[in-house]
Amino acid sequence: MKVFMGKAALAALLVASSAGAQDAKAQRPAAQQAQVRDAVKLPKATVLELKNGAKLLLVEKREVPMVSFSAKVRGGALGDPEGKEGLAALTAEMLQKGAGSRDARQFAEAVDSVGGSISVSPGREGLDVYGQFMSRDTALMVELLSDLLMRPRFEPAELDKTRERMVSELAAVKDGDLRGIIGTYFQAFHFGTHPYGRPVGGSEASLATLKREDVLAYAKAHLGGDRLILSVVGDIDAKKLAKQLEAALGGWARASTPAPVAPPTQATKGRRVLLVDKPDATQTYFWAGNTGIARTDPARVDVALANTVLGGRFTSLLNTALRIKSGLSYGAGSLVMRDTQPGAFAVSSYTKTESTGKALDLALEVLASYRQKGMDDAMLASAREYMMGQFPPTLETSLQIASKLSELAFYGLDASDVDDFAAQVASSDKARIQAAIQRVVPSGDDLTVVLIGKAADIRDVARKYGTVTEMSITDPHFAPRAAVKK
Amino acid sequence: MFRQKLLVTGLMLLAGSAACAQGRAVRTETSSTATAAQKPGANVRTKTLKNGLKIIVWSDPDNPSISLFNWFRVGSRNERPGITGLSHFFEHMMFNGAKKYGPGEFDRVMEAHGGRNNAYTSEDVTVYMDGFPRSALETIFDLEADRLQYLSIDPKVVESERGVVYSERRSSVDNNNAGLLMEQVQSTAFVAHPYQIPTIGWPSDIESWKQEDLERYFRTYYAPNNATLIVVGAVTPEEIFSLAEKYLEPIPAQPAPEPVRTQEPPQQGERRVVVRKLAQAPLLQMAFHGFNASNPDAPALELLVRILTGGDSSRLHRRLVEEEQVAIHVEGYRSAGFDPGLTWLLVDLPPGGDLGKTETLLDEELGKVVSGGVTDAELRKAKNIVVADFWRHLETNSGRAQALGTYEVFHGDWQKLFSAPTQYEAVTREQVRKVAEKVFTKNNRTVGVLVPEAAAEAKKEAAR
Repeated sequence: MKVFMGKAALAALLVASSAGAQDAKAQRPAAQQAQVRDAVKLPKATVLELKNGAKLLLVEKREVPMVSFSAKVRGGALGDPEGKEGLAALTAEMLQKGAGSRDARQFAEAVDSVGGSISVSPGREGLDVYGQFMSRDTALMVELLSDLLMRPRFEPAELDKTRERMVSELAAVKDGDLRGIIGTYFQAFHFGTHPYGRPVGGSEASLATLKREDVLAYAKAHLGGDRLILSVVGDIDAKKLAKQLEAALGGWARASTPAPVAPPTQATKGRRVLLVDKPDATQTYFWAGNTGIARTDPARVDVALANTVLGGRFTSLLNTALRIKSGLSYGAGSLVMRDTQPGAFAVSSYTKTESTGKALDLALEVLASYRQKGMDDAMLASAREYMMGQFPPTLETSLQIASKLSELAFYGLDASDVDDFAAQVASSDKARIQAAIQRVVPSGDDLTVVLIGKAADIRDVARKYGTVTEMSITDPHFAPRAAVKK
Repeated sequence: MFRQKLLVTGLMLLAGSAACAQGRAVRTETSSTATAAQKPGANVRTKTLKNGLKIIVWSDPDNPSISLFNWFRVGSRNERPGITGLSHFFEHMMFNGAKKYGPGEFDRVMEAHGGRNNAYTSEDVTVYMDGFPRSALETIFDLEADRLQYLSIDPKVVESERGVVYSERRSSVDNNNAGLLMEQVQSTAFVAHPYQIPTIGWPSDIESWKQEDLERYFRTYYAPNNATLIVVGAVTPEEIFSLAEKYLEPIPAQPAPEPVRTQEPPQQGERRVVVRKLAQAPLLQMAFHGFNASNPDAPALELLVRILTGGDSSRLHRRLVEEEQVAIHVEGYRSAGFDPGLTWLLVDLPPGGDLGKTETLLDEELGKVVSGGVTDAELRKAKNIVVADFWRHLETNSGRAQALGTYEVFHGDWQKLFSAPTQYEAVTREQVRKVAEKVFTKNNRTVGVLVPEAAAEAKKEAAR
């Protein structure tokens, strides 16, 4: 069935979070009071730390006979040596290609045959491992997970095959919907040599050079018990499972190097434009932004409210201007990417080639006006309701809860990030939000702009926004070599 | 935390069937909440209003977020040349203003009450989806009733929305090679049935829908008797029925829409379509005429598609991606609507990939299934995957609203949802082989290839 999502237009990524304790103010409307009262709470987890440093968080949620897990293994693309971007990603793929007594095929059979799932995806600062099994298969799940983490085979033939496929996938993705890839160009261009500029999945150029020795070296340096946070939620006996996991994972040696730490990021000054030429494009895709906030930023709830109004929902200022009022685009939004250090804050949209300048101008006007005026009382009231109303469904399934537990532990946050969220939102203050806007929403003078489209038609338009660097979509890197080297 | 008592009964079915099949004992220990010996669907209640609107409510008192889905029996199969894409365009227009709530107000009011919405259009249906906290319940009914009864179709808004839809088309089709090829394959696979029409619409139609087309469409298809309303979450059936009577029952019924009578004649030979386009990598797609949702062979076909493409241990992934390395990704799915739709095999090749060799290998694998069938282990695995997926979708309120709607609308009865695991369990190896024989034959397929052109050649072509 071919389906068109008529309204799922926002490219926005609104990750709700909450700051430290602040008293909820009285005098809220009845609906808000009800929402604070009904607010979703994170279930209490049984927490264990193994001798090797592995952290386990277990929650019994026994309504359905299924069990979900979310593991984070600290390191990720931060552990990629310079020039070897994508090494963590290749390692992540290889973890699924045979481990313990099973080769790649047998491993896939073992997972599929019981209707289970395990996937490893590389992140900027860690590898994420997710899975879900019927609870009757919990023992098998523990066996497969510990094999995958502790006893990967890294077979040479599988490795060559996997690497070749990853290179091809990167080329192929550029033939598809460019909304999926423009962020990689933006971050590579914006963060340059900082590790946050590295394409997490690697580039066609860097992946092609990776060898088995590189993967073995990465695994030795960055896989180990001390790097692991594992949350398991579902129809489990927490005590029994804790013992099983301790037996299975307690012997995992520590990684041979300390976990890599991202150096601080900063906002850039001035305007720079990257134009990625795709000669057959009939539509231009763009991101414009700068450096925003970290996951643990004390003002993160204020920023989330600010982002909701600017570009985090359908009636946001950006979507209203570019879609609802002008019909220039199917969608416009803003996004906040948050890691241990501040990540990107950007506005994003797309429009037919001929209206590239008009759409980008409009987006930047909204940005400038918002920075100057902020939000009014009605917008704030609405954004509060929206954020409180939409938060509970983000913690509906056992996998969502497991992911949240691992995420909080990874960033050193606690349950208050969830439990106090509604109260935090309800008590938000306009002046404080305005201060957050001033700090986080970039000024029009200091912007990184990335455009992907038909360069022959939009080259002159691009020049209006700053010094233009140009590259081709077929270039095997995600940023021009000179720009990355600076 | 949210408790999903009713889901348990369904999941117990699955646990039982999957466990038996592996020769393990069915678990007898049950958690405190899993003891509810309720009949599956016991918390579901229905009512049909005087105007013909059927309402289905699944109560879960412990989940404060509510999902309200309104299913309309209208999709691109109800279109004709000149108005292609109109169902989908109408989906957009339903958010653009009515009597009490003017342009933009539907979304503004819903979001200000903590709700959000979305909608989708397929060949068969248009579905409107609201997700909101309990406190917004009555407001949501007020909003929905206003647009169903008094939608305004302002020509100025129509003009602006054309731009939005065209931008959507550019993202999903014109600037997306896989989407572009699928559009060509689908419109080649059908010669008579309106499933040949792309749901997003042909460009010239997007540019030329007329005011009267829109007005007629609204009157014909957006009638309460052509819809099914589903509400899942912390609500009681009584309060939903009462709100529906207050807000939705006053909306008059309309004459039933003209049925789609055209049936696709049997295909009598392979069709092929070639797209030459600037690209880095080639694509191969095959579309076979399959079944409608309620066809008794549909579960066997679903299992077969999983055996071929579900997971890294599937036949086509193993052969094309891992062993021969001619492809980087293989995907399969079947559409299951009112009329017999397509079963797709989508193969992504690496840059420089060999389309001919890939097709030969794919043919070989399909031939093996037709002649030799599948193994017991493969069938067991596919059943476990399908049924686990099936119940996993019921973990959320929106997933349940989608599942209830699918069974009510396409299978004629929401209660069939709860017997689906049993239906899958009953499928035999011989049924799967017969389905393979029926569906995966060359005469029954349309093959599409996207052949990459280099930039310079594309420019030359464009200059001609």
